Amino acid sequence: MTLRELMNVVGQLVQVPETSGVWVTAELADVAVRGGHCYMELLQKDDGGRQIARVRGCIWANVYSRLAPYFYRLTGQQFASGLKVMLCGSVSMHPVFGMSFVVSSINPEFTMGDLLRRRREILERLDKEGILNDNKSLVWPMVPQRVAVVSSPGAAGYGDFMNQLRNNSSRIRFHTGLFEATMQGESAPASIIAALGRIAAERERWDGVVIIRGGGATADLQAFEDYDLAANVAQFPLPIAIGIGHERDVTVLDYIANTRLKTPTAVAEWLIGRGEELLGFLTAAGQRVLQIVTDRLGGYRQQLAQAEALLPAAALNAVERSKGRLRSAASLLSGVSGRRIQSQLSRLDMVRDGVASAGRNALQRQNDRLKAREELLEVLSPMATLRRGYSITRIGGKAVNSVAAVPPGAVVETTLADGTFLSTTD
Amino acid sequence: MTYNEAAAELEQILRHMQSDNCDIDRLAGLTRRATALIAECRRRLTATDEELRAILSEDEAEK
Repeated sequence: MTLRELMNVVGQLVQVPETSGVWVTAELADVAVRGGHCYMELLQKDDGGRQIARVRGCIWANVYSRLAPYFYRLTGQQFASGLKVMLCGSVSMHPVFGMSFVVSSINPEFTMGDLLRRRREILERLDKEGILNDNKSLVWPMVPQRVAVVSSPGAAGYGDFMNQLRNNSSRIRFHTGLFEATMQGESAPASIIAALGRIAAERERWDGVVIIRGGGATADLQAFEDYDLAANVAQFPLPIAIGIGHERDVTVLDYIANTRLKTPTAVAEWLIGRGEELLGFLTAAGQRVLQIVTDRLGGYRQQLAQAEALLPAAALNAVERSKGRLRSAASLLSGVSGRRIQSQLSRLDMVRDGVASAGRNALQRQNDRLKAREELLEVLSPMATLRRGYSITRIGGKAVNSVAAVPPGAVVETTLADGTFLSTTD
Repeated sequence: MTYNEAAAELEQILRHMQSDNCDIDRLAGLTRRATALIAECRRRLTATDEELRAILSEDEAEK
């Protein structure tokens, strides 16, 4: 009997109805796609994590091209190592390559259930330990400008993130530091935990942490479903923002980290948005100050003008009233004896002088007060500001308060304290 | 001084300036303080031209 004949006998013994079209549960390892075909190892482990069964598996390209997107759509997971799966297939024996399990179909619900169960176990454990919401309850500073980044330097996601931050149109200033970590595969959790440790050692230098990755199409997020990593993120002393993967990707970290965003780009946008919010607040505050000062000064000016208009009339009225009183006093006196009249007249003269000087003093006081207010107005007026070296920039007669409102080639009118000049922007 | 503190003080000044018991003698001082707070926050928030140039030349060096 030749070796080939022996293998053919084995093949006939193995390829029987009982081993074809069967549903099998297994854990995936060493998943690799070559020439469109997907090769893997199918494992079964005992409670201690020891392998108790192992067989080679494969999914031919015509099946895999259909099965992989279907699996991703239903589970949000790439078909990758570490997943628990339920596969339908047949045992096949090849005289050269030996025995393997050829997959024809998959049950995504099984994987989904397993993932959710494992995630729930992690979350329940964190909850029991009282740390589930620790990171979530931290508060970011109004604008996080000092950002510690955990990522792999070569990742497209990291490049996108940095470009976005550096080229933000509002010129918001960010200071970043990269803490390198492996972002995929089994070593990812330990590597990310180590990076977090390096940040924690100098935590006063940072406002918060950003964990990002992305860009790769075959991202496997299995590694992030890890209790130790989740516990580290939950207890981290600075707020953490997560941006790993794509729209659909969810990991246990999304439930634990302070801020959950979808992609690295979304994290950058979020950071810039916080800065722009504060810029907007500052601009509004400046406009309110200007408005209040303008309104108030306008009110005081009006008040002064009214007082000014009233003053001469008030003085004249006072003199007229005094005159009237004098006349009535004089007519009263006409009936009184000469000596009395004389003394009364001289007293009247004194009264008259007194009234006149009182009127003058009152006028003088009012004038002094007016002058003091005018000086104050002068200090607060735009002219004083201009004399200090500020200028007003106008386009088409309208004041400009943002460089965004200045198109190239615009004729700009600049007003200084002693005049106005025109210029053209380039 | 943090942004939060600066923003809180700004709000407080604006409220005071708008209230009826803010007299004209204090208006100038409050305006000056509000303007200084706004300018300081802006300065810390946004990068200057020199800084932008420095960042861009860093990028060039990396390439």
